[in-house]
Amino acid sequence: MKVLETDNSNKLMLLVARRSFVMCFVLLALLAGPYGHADDGALAIISNSKGAPEEMSISEMKDVFKGERQRWSDGTKVVIALMKTTTTIGNSTAQKLYKMSDQELNKYWLGLVFQGKAKAPKFFSSESELKDYVTETPGAIGVIGLISLGEGKSVLIDGNKSF
Amino acid sequence: MKMEFIVSFTILPFRELFEINRENERVMVEISRGTVINTASFLLLLSLAFAPDLGYGQEPMSIQSFVAVENNYDTRTDNLSFGFGEQDLLMTADLADKMSFLGETVFRYSSGFQIGVERIIVKYNYKGNHNILLGRRHTPLNYWNDIYHHGRLFFPTTSRPTTFTYHIIPIHTNGISLQGHNLGKMKFGYDVMLGNGLGSSSEMVDNDKNKSISTAIHVKPADGLRIGASIYKDKLASGAITRQGTAVRPIDQRIISAHVAYFSSSIEFLAETSMATNKDDSASANTMASYIYLGYKMDKLIPYIRYDYLDVGKEEMYYNNTDRYVFVAVLGVRYEVSYQAVVKVEFMYSEKETTGPSDVVNFQLAIGF
Repeated sequence: MKVLETDNSNKLMLLVARRSFVMCFVLLALLAGPYGHADDGALAIISNSKGAPEEMSISEMKDVFKGERQRWSDGTKVVIALMKTTTTIGNSTAQKLYKMSDQELNKYWLGLVFQGKAKAPKFFSSESELKDYVTETPGAIGVIGLISLGEGKSVLIDGNKSF
Repeated sequence: MKMEFIVSFTILPFRELFEINRENERVMVEISRGTVINTASFLLLLSLAFAPDLGYGQEPMSIQSFVAVENNYDTRTDNLSFGFGEQDLLMTADLADKMSFLGETVFRYSSGFQIGVERIIVKYNYKGNHNILLGRRHTPLNYWNDIYHHGRLFFPTTSRPTTFTYHIIPIHTNGISLQGHNLGKMKFGYDVMLGNGLGSSSEMVDNDKNKSISTAIHVKPADGLRIGASIYKDKLASGAITRQGTAVRPIDQRIISAHVAYFSSSIEFLAETSMATNKDDSASANTMASYIYLGYKMDKLIPYIRYDYLDVGKEEMYYNNTDRYVFVAVLGVRYEVSYQAVVKVEFMYSEKETTGPSDVVNFQLAIGF
């Protein structure tokens, strides 16, 4: 009889411990959610008022940033602005957008320019400089961190503000 | 650093422009062909004249350099040689919104130090991804010539395949091209080039009124995959310079090439083949040159193999036919130190009809910045 009571109390303890663990995990996930996502390197696309469309698909975006498109549909020249690969956002851009390491991305552009097939992107050390350049340059399109975008306007990628 | 770069053009009347006085002969190029080239030059100049000013120093010219340090050890002669490869200078600049310039000049040692102008291209982007190219370029006939040019940093092996060393395809052409790339879902690309063609002793003057026509197409149906084909047609006048000396009779040349290239994060595969048919009024010869390259990428280390095969036609009247067949096998490893530096070590076995087998160990440090 005593053995049965001990078994039941152990089961109850286990159940409470499991539920508490799940609750804590859910709470932590809810609290860390938005910040964790941004820290994870969520990126946003910004563009000049001239040139780029308001929305693009992921594949269209990749084609543009790989230098495969010379002109926007309004005839403006495509100008690519990226953060330097030594920065966190630049590194994140290489991995998430290009699916390359920072070294591979640098070699990709070196090769493309060498072939005469594209013009090298403009690389920046700070996101504010990149944003200013995109604002001032017709046809410019660039990648920044979602945090830096703030309430600013971005090019929607498959309907989303970030990727 | 501010640099001034001046591109000058001389506009002459059509007739005068294409009448070339060469010692004892006077060559008159057909006006109809001349008109096409001259009109294109004129339109390019006109667009430059009316282009908005970009501002001096505000759109800087870019200069890049590519160099290779090379050593090789020949097991047959038991000889170790220290050398260096080409020093390649690449210049690019935007001349106007739709016009850009690319120049590639190479300094190399070949019986004395020499300077080679490899590419001089003025590009006019007339619509979307469609361009007109005027100048000297690598004939857009195969993948290697179109992608790697003279950059050892980009070569997957230390040297070019036999197709190049035996000049099976014309490496350079001076002329005018229409080019398009990444068109539609299949990322279709094309090149149509009208050029001076083969047979001239000078790079600047065509020896005859015949023009070469190069037509190349490719598609990129998946990331890293490119499949393409091309055809080159030229007619060499008698007396034209060939790889055997001079042509006794006029030669009709046709080169058909095809390639498949796949470069992913782990697999590197490249295969190309060219079939050249040369005909004169007494004989016809088929020469075939192929190579296949396979590499396996393990982060920065890439072990690779390459196999080249050349079969020169028995009745060949254009290519050097001292060796009717050449076979080359390469086994090597490439280490990508950074995007600016690559080290390659390879063992190359080659077999030629005249000289028999030979083994060479090649080392190359290629850099670009």
